[in-house]
Amino acid sequence: MAGLANSFGRGAMTNHFNDYKNTDVFLVIGSNAAETHPMAMKWIQRAKELRGAKLIVADPRLTKTAAHADIFARHRPGTDIPFLLGIMNYAIQNNLYHKEYIANYTNASYLVNPNYGFQDGLFSGAGEKNGKFSYDKNTWQYQKDGETIKKDFTLEHPNCVFQLLKKHVSRYDIETVSKITGVPKDIYRNVCETFASTGAPEKSGNIIYAMGITQHTYGTQNVRAIAMLQLLLGNIGKAGGGVNAQRGESNVQGSTDLAMLSHLLPGYLGVPNATKHTCLQDYIEKETPPSGYWKNKPKFLISLLKAFYGEKATKENDFCFDWLPKVDGKNRSHMGIFQEMLDGNVKGLIAWGQNPAVGGPGAQFERKAMEQLDWLVVVDLFETETAAFWHGPGADPKNIKTECFLLPAAFSFEKEGSVTNSGRWIQYRYKAVDPPGEAKTDTWIADKLFKAIRKEYQNGGKFPEPILNMHWDYDKPGHDEPDIAKIALEINGYAVGENKPLDSFGKLADDGSTVCGMWIYTGYWAMDKDFKVAKCKRRSREDSGLGTFLKWSFSWPLNRRILYNRCATDPQGNPWDPKRALFKWNGTKWIANDVPDYNSKIAPEKSAQAPFIMLPNGNGRLFANGLADGPFPEHYEPMESPVSNIISKQQNTPCASVFKGDWAKIAELGDSRFPYVATTHRQLEHYQSGAVTRNTPSLVEVCPWMYVSLSENLAREKGIKPGDEVWVETIRGKIKCLASVSPVVKPLTVNGKKIEVIGLPWHWGYQGMSTGATANDITPAVGDGNTSIPEYKAFLCNIRKA
Amino acid sequence: MSKAVLVDLTKCIGCKSCQTSCKQWNDLPAIKPQFDNTLSYPAETDGYTYTTVLHRTTEKNGQETLRFAKRQCLHCLEPACASACFAKAIQKTPEGPVVYNPDLCVGCRYCMLACPFSIPKYDWESVFPQIVKCQFCFDREGTHDRIGHGMEPACVNACPTGCLKFGERDELLKEAWKRINKYSKYIKHVYGEKEAGGTSWLYIADVPFETFDFRTNVPNIPLSTYSHDYLKWSPAVFIGGGALLSALHFYTKRRNEIAKEKDKNHDINA
Repeated sequence: MAGLANSFGRGAMTNHFNDYKNTDVFLVIGSNAAETHPMAMKWIQRAKELRGAKLIVADPRLTKTAAHADIFARHRPGTDIPFLLGIMNYAIQNNLYHKEYIANYTNASYLVNPNYGFQDGLFSGAGEKNGKFSYDKNTWQYQKDGETIKKDFTLEHPNCVFQLLKKHVSRYDIETVSKITGVPKDIYRNVCETFASTGAPEKSGNIIYAMGITQHTYGTQNVRAIAMLQLLLGNIGKAGGGVNAQRGESNVQGSTDLAMLSHLLPGYLGVPNATKHTCLQDYIEKETPPSGYWKNKPKFLISLLKAFYGEKATKENDFCFDWLPKVDGKNRSHMGIFQEMLDGNVKGLIAWGQNPAVGGPGAQFERKAMEQLDWLVVVDLFETETAAFWHGPGADPKNIKTECFLLPAAFSFEKEGSVTNSGRWIQYRYKAVDPPGEAKTDTWIADKLFKAIRKEYQNGGKFPEPILNMHWDYDKPGHDEPDIAKIALEINGYAVGENKPLDSFGKLADDGSTVCGMWIYTGYWAMDKDFKVAKCKRRSREDSGLGTFLKWSFSWPLNRRILYNRCATDPQGNPWDPKRALFKWNGTKWIANDVPDYNSKIAPEKSAQAPFIMLPNGNGRLFANGLADGPFPEHYEPMESPVSNIISKQQNTPCASVFKGDWAKIAELGDSRFPYVATTHRQLEHYQSGAVTRNTPSLVEVCPWMYVSLSENLAREKGIKPGDEVWVETIRGKIKCLASVSPVVKPLTVNGKKIEVIGLPWHWGYQGMSTGATANDITPAVGDGNTSIPEYKAFLCNIRKA
Repeated sequence: MSKAVLVDLTKCIGCKSCQTSCKQWNDLPAIKPQFDNTLSYPAETDGYTYTTVLHRTTEKNGQETLRFAKRQCLHCLEPACASACFAKAIQKTPEGPVVYNPDLCVGCRYCMLACPFSIPKYDWESVFPQIVKCQFCFDREGTHDRIGHGMEPACVNACPTGCLKFGERDELLKEAWKRINKYSKYIKHVYGEKEAGGTSWLYIADVPFETFDFRTNVPNIPLSTYSHDYLKWSPAVFIGGGALLSALHFYTKRRNEIAKEKDKNHDINA
């Protein structure tokens, strides 16, 4: 998400699943769509059939997606950046990039501070701050003439972004990339040629990724590399193009939109910082950019405060800004919380639809951390491993004093509400059956829980005002369930005193006259005039032929189906490919097959100047100076790696988010005890930590056993036969499972050295109908420097017969 | 006119939707199969499973790849199982499906021996065991019917990629050859066009059918023509054969129980 937001302005999939049918070349990297998103695979196959589209799959494992690839590049876990930068280098060297596109729509022409540099694997400004490595970003800034950024549209100036990029990626030639990744040169050349062919204006290339890209200590930079490649080839904003992040759950986009992440409020407004933002004015002044659509941020924040605190929020009291929780600069992400829990600083935990006892990095240590809790509330369908952490392997219930509560929750088919898919479509669905027994909907549980907490605070407590004064009016007379329509209306937004949903966030105000729980969804609850239902309830199959389906549900923002779609045409408004025209300027107005993600009331040449409307300068970022670990991606080895970094002296990313204790132990380079590379993965039959699927008989049947994939070569060396029990061991512990021996994984030749790779599905635990070892018991607790996402996808191990 | 399904293995992504939707539609119980190295679960159709998706690694263009094949009763045009069944418990319907009627079955299991594709299975664990095989969702009088109600089979309905296509056999056969002639990737063979005199399920693929152990040496004439002459002896053989097979049943059951005991000791969570 951070990688996308820093490149394009929004942390979301740019296109949507149906649009895949418009693609000419797919690059699926770090995603196994056939298993994890079978319905996405349908559209990939349609493009192959209808357009003769080519499918490139880059993956360490021969996945079910790779089975359908025209080109399958087997690359070593953790080497996505060289793989992607190599394609950029090939496109630049062979003049295959989309020059008109990058000159107009990206920051390729911007001039960067002449003191910017890159040496020995580090960018200029490397230094230490508070005992930790960090970059001083002064030299990463643009050259300015007053307030205007200096540009060179010929892209020839040695300090322009394009020339800096060209120089940066020039080190990633086919030979070098092949040495790092283990992909044979001829296959890699074929990848480069095929994907770079989409740099032609009339072609569309689509990059699809998932957790194989993000779960690395440089996951954000992996995403950046994808975003940059797509900008370079002019593939953003077009039908059939895009950077398509396939989310790991049906509603993970929705929960991210609604502030699942610890540093965000709903609608991607940053959580205020306790020292930096002492009052509302502080926040507004420091966090509102002077240009780009985010200049409206105060309207969104104040409308949100009105949603939180209702009538209590007035101009005089800063709309109760002081009542908002603030961050304090400490790591409040998943690993940060568990580190605090291990240290005994967290007293209570509500695990709501989450199963860290299986899903967390170094899960065995996370279970240990839970033993420090005074109380634990789990809201789930079944008694998950988290709910039963006290009788997991190695736990002694006699010594655990944690008071545990398990609240039975309703399943998705047992409740009503909207779900936001990867492609940002907010689709409303109705209840199919009643929840069984005492199971309740999440809204019911949240409503009752909040009311009970508020009751407690009525007898006093620390800082009771935000709780006592929270606007909480969701009751439905005569019903036990909260009124979902009231919740939806509040999220959508309305004018104070009127009960009507607003149809655009353009109508939100910063004077307290509007209420809005999440500005990016505004309009989804507004009535569709033709269908007489809220827009997210629409189900019309009417279509332009491009698969935008503008009257099916509602896509945020404002029903725009393809983001940054100003880039679908040239600056004059002519579509790059007339056969897949999202828009066309007819001389006086736009002919549209999508909702414009730009100001359509101004001349095309004018809107072309800032097609990425959420970014302050309006241009897509080939060079991004907002991230902690560099304006360009650079290859570093995973924290645990069997080989030295051959591209620079810097072995690992200097910015990784590191933790302390046993769960954060890292095997050193060349540790002979752990010679093999391991990666974790999902598979079709099971979902996440298996909390539901390992309790569903027909799904247990189709994959009942935890296993490890190893190559025929490694099995021979170790005397392991198919179905044998084996130990898989890392510096953090060992697990026992069954061996699946097949060419799904194969040794790779990395810089002349043979490296074995093994694959571990992470769906198993000790609860449910199908039990098995938890792969995450042995994964490392080390994360990305920007987002703290753990490095699940590349670590070192040993394997031996049990 | 008879109903058929065209299975285009080049479109199969191994998602097993056909397999689980079959279980659900037909109210079949789930079991916990043995470990299988290819991760095909169950590795073969069994007494509780009409259909399973086989996973195989193979080589194509010098690189390893994966292919998947849904396996179930092929619903022969002239089924050997039906001709072997003196009790008329298995019959070929004019609509296409080869259906089994447990009320008529005497449990002789000749159908299992007769089938050239080794499809019919027996639910050995039941008190009154039955033959188990795909019914093509045809059960006009019963609760599991789809085809009789003008719907496509549950598996076809669940397939997300168009790998399975339901229709009239002659039309699907034409389409199969059309695809084969249009795209060079296909091997030039429609499995089921001629095998055993022709089947209602037709397969096309871009890898040899031997990859999935599909029998390619099945005669092209209906096997029922062989069986007719011998069938008259069935009642006599039934009495003796039944006794023998019952004995075999107790032997296998005991053997399975011993195997299960072993499994209990085989605790993978240790």
